[in-house]
Amino acid sequence: MDTDVAARPATRAELDWLTTQLHDWRTAGLVDDQQATAIRGRYHVVADPTRRFSLARLLLGLGAVFVGVGLIWLVAANLGQLPPLLRFAAVAAIWFALLVTGEALHARRSRLPSPVIGSVRLLAALAFGAMIFQAAQSLQVPAYEPGLVGLWGVGALVHAYGVRGLGPLLVGLPALVVWFVWQVMYDAASPFALVLALGAIAVLGFSIATLHDRWLTRFGPPWREVGAALAMIVLFAAALPFLTIEDFTWSRWLVVGLVAAGVAATAATLLTEGRTRLEPLGAVAVLVVSVGLVLWDTGADTTSLDAADWAHTGLSIAVYVAVAVGVAVLGILRDSWRLTALAMTGLVVFTTFQSFAVFAQIIQGAWLFVVLGLIFLGTGYGFDRARRELAATLEGEDR
Amino acid sequence: MIKRIALVAVLQLALVPLAVLPQLSARVTGESYPMRVAPVDPIDPFRGAYVDLSYPDLREGDMSDPPSLDDGDGGAVYATLVEEDGFWVLGEYTRSRPEDGPYLACDDRYWAIRCGIESWFASQEDARRLEGAVANGAVATIKIDSRGNAAIVDLQPR
Repeated sequence: MDTDVAARPATRAELDWLTTQLHDWRTAGLVDDQQATAIRGRYHVVADPTRRFSLARLLLGLGAVFVGVGLIWLVAANLGQLPPLLRFAAVAAIWFALLVTGEALHARRSRLPSPVIGSVRLLAALAFGAMIFQAAQSLQVPAYEPGLVGLWGVGALVHAYGVRGLGPLLVGLPALVVWFVWQVMYDAASPFALVLALGAIAVLGFSIATLHDRWLTRFGPPWREVGAALAMIVLFAAALPFLTIEDFTWSRWLVVGLVAAGVAATAATLLTEGRTRLEPLGAVAVLVVSVGLVLWDTGADTTSLDAADWAHTGLSIAVYVAVAVGVAVLGILRDSWRLTALAMTGLVVFTTFQSFAVFAQIIQGAWLFVVLGLIFLGTGYGFDRARRELAATLEGEDR
Repeated sequence: MIKRIALVAVLQLALVPLAVLPQLSARVTGESYPMRVAPVDPIDPFRGAYVDLSYPDLREGDMSDPPSLDDGDGGAVYATLVEEDGFWVLGEYTRSRPEDGPYLACDDRYWAIRCGIESWFASQEDARRLEGAVANGAVATIKIDSRGNAAIVDLQPR
């Protein structure tokens, strides 16, 4: 047996895994002690390069966000020393320089992806926002105009899809979410309009994420995470007993958003197969249930709870837990710890809120905390068990 | 690569005029109308210091400040303007677009009537100075185009 080879680098985690496997192989009689020692001897521990990479990416990302926000802040500070047109020209020049630099770096390093490219692209997308705000300020566009944020979001999305860069997408998505909710509430504010707007974004998020399974797969996770976050928020809102259909009127952008969500969900369902279809369909179901919960008005008086209030709360909790478990399962299936963390956080916040809202009326003081603790323990145990069973099932399928 | 950058840059640049279209149209094609204003104050989180303005001459009768219509409707509303002692003041508010001007195209979706001329952005120092200087009233020069789009182009103490 040839053991005279240079030891190869491996991370601590990889060597731990190999050591466990060698123990199993020895126990099963596949290798003897000498062979196991020889195999282990072929590797030596090195620092995990992905950790350094992650740290670099974190710092570059943070730096880009700080500089970008600072740029927008400079616009906010009005840069009194410069006349408006020169101010706009200066911000536009910074935006263009960043746009070109990002792509020049990408062209030079296309064989070796670098987080520097992502941070420059992120910065360019933030600088585009600064340019929009500077143009608006130079021409005295009224304050608190939601359309400016919307145009920033659209521009960042054009940038993201034009260069296939994730950084601008991470700017454009939140900007568009903020704009859409703000615009709908600006046009005709009502609790039900808010629920419909949040639900429409959830459906759009999941549908576009699913469509990205066919093309530009890197863009799927951000859309999916936006969809999951909004699905959990809309259910949270719809479960509030004081949210009713009062004061609701249709507005242009709300209709546009709902139609876009419908088209995207239909396309995602028709163009995908298998369990992937469940994502857009699940988001549509969340929207429908949320609408149903708001329409089912059991009254806003939480000091006296009748059977209808209990039924409303019970159904809300059941649906919320089901959606949270669904998002957690999706996190496992899609290898996304963020989705799993989102599901856990949403569940804890929702359970706490509902417990205080419902049980606080009949249980006082310390007992409320005991009951809350028991609810958390029960929910956590059930959640963890479901997660383990799913992981075991998936492991079994892989074998 | 150059084509891709050019395409992204052109598309993004095309979005910028959309952000300022009514104000740009008013500045380029509109005519100037002096109107009396009174300052209010605050700050926009994205865009910084500005002087919030109210227009005493755009209120009719015992209207609140900012003005609002109690007709149970919301959306587009138009303010016709008439000249009075060298300043332009409200003729009337109407829900249908006037056939001739000058008039302001306004909006009362958010209960108060807003005509796009309620804020004057300035540096923080200028905003503070203006706030004090126009405390006893000021005159804003408003440019208004044929569609009622308006933009403030100047603000001076009276």
